[in-house]
Amino acid sequence: MSKKGKIRVLIAKPGLDGHDRGAKVIARALRDSGMEVIYTGLRQSPEDIVEAAIQEDVHFIGLSILSGAHSHIFPRIVELLNERKAGDIKIIAGGIIPNEEIPKWKKIGIEAIFGPGSSTIEIVDYINGSVN
Amino acid sequence: MKTEHIIDKLKTGDIRAVARLLTLIENEEENAETILKEIWKFTGNSYIIGITGPPGAGKSTIVDLLAKIALDKGHKVGILAVDPTSPFSGGAVLGDRLRMNSAQQSGIFIRSVASRGHLGGLASTTRFMINAIEMLGNDITLVETVGAGQGDVEIVQVADTTIVVEVPGLGDEVQAQKAGILEIGDILVVNKGDRPGADRLTKELRMMLSLGEKKEWESPIVTTTATNGSGLEILWGKINEHQNYLGDNKKNIMRLKRINYELENQVSQKLFTKKMVQIGENEIQIMAERILKREIDPLSAVEKIIKE
Repeated sequence: MSKKGKIRVLIAKPGLDGHDRGAKVIARALRDSGMEVIYTGLRQSPEDIVEAAIQEDVHFIGLSILSGAHSHIFPRIVELLNERKAGDIKIIAGGIIPNEEIPKWKKIGIEAIFGPGSSTIEIVDYINGSVN
Repeated sequence: MKTEHIIDKLKTGDIRAVARLLTLIENEEENAETILKEIWKFTGNSYIIGITGPPGAGKSTIVDLLAKIALDKGHKVGILAVDPTSPFSGGAVLGDRLRMNSAQQSGIFIRSVASRGHLGGLASTTRFMINAIEMLGNDITLVETVGAGQGDVEIVQVADTTIVVEVPGLGDEVQAQKAGILEIGDILVVNKGDRPGADRLTKELRMMLSLGEKKEWESPIVTTTATNGSGLEILWGKINEHQNYLGDNKKNIMRLKRINYELENQVSQKLFTKKMVQIGENEIQIMAERILKREIDPLSAVEKIIKE
């Protein structure tokens, strides 16, 4: 990235649960670390998310899911990104994702999963490390 | 993506290529210049509508609805939405998209832009970003400024039609008399028209406009309630009226003036950068210290530096 380049992250909340506090905390933490965060809000479909990520040319999509819908949404987003030849956009996720599932999701292309108790610093460091 | 590859893709209106070019422009990468030179002749084909006004006035919601109306009338639309960069961290939360659900659902291209320290309501690269979006083949570009203060009037240098959105409850009629943002509106919108005070604000704005000298184009005032869409069709009609009033002739005169101004700006910036490299940071530092110690005054210091 050039000197003037910024890390851009799309924060989205797919699925139907309405608890976006976590997503907002993350958005704020990323902003405070100097990143540009595109916040898209609640109830986004995988199609919306992928389209937005492409238009916004982000490095990362950050997904917050608490409802269990991730088992449908993760594979769908990966699939859509690949269809659009945008597999270079990385995905991270947070919320309620069972620990025993994590290897499975990493295998299909979810880069990292940050469950309850993760610190925002950890997430910022991860993204910074991964882009640079 | 390689530069040549991006150029080829741009010529086919490829969304990823446009998105990538926007990033290159924002980051002021060298290849952005190469690409812009290459595509310049294909740009300039969209009618540019600027939307400005204070934070929370409903700009994004209005942009969303306007985009949808335009789309339904057969136009192709692109959106640039600028939000402020934090002066402390350099980061930004870009939330305009949040209010642009119907545009997003309709597949309209939306790009969120951080101002990256530029004042005036836009980012320094907004003009070129509009050109980049025009590679999608859109005939309308909507540009939303950051939540603007009284002096953030740069949009008028960019838009063909400038819409200033005001809301009731922000001040008395003296505010409406002040110079600045209200003067630049080709169309004034009183949004949140269902709120108390909306009628009064409309009257005050009308008063303000009537006090000024008579202009060829008299800015209409449209009352809207963006949350339920009321007044938006009327607003769209007024935009069309303004566009027809300008015609190609007035529009081109206006654009020519801007290009002039922009050219001056670019030249002065390039000269500045060149000169600074030649002088070196050190020289400035030394001079600053001398000014602090009152060995030299700032005015003479500038003269001395320029002469060197």
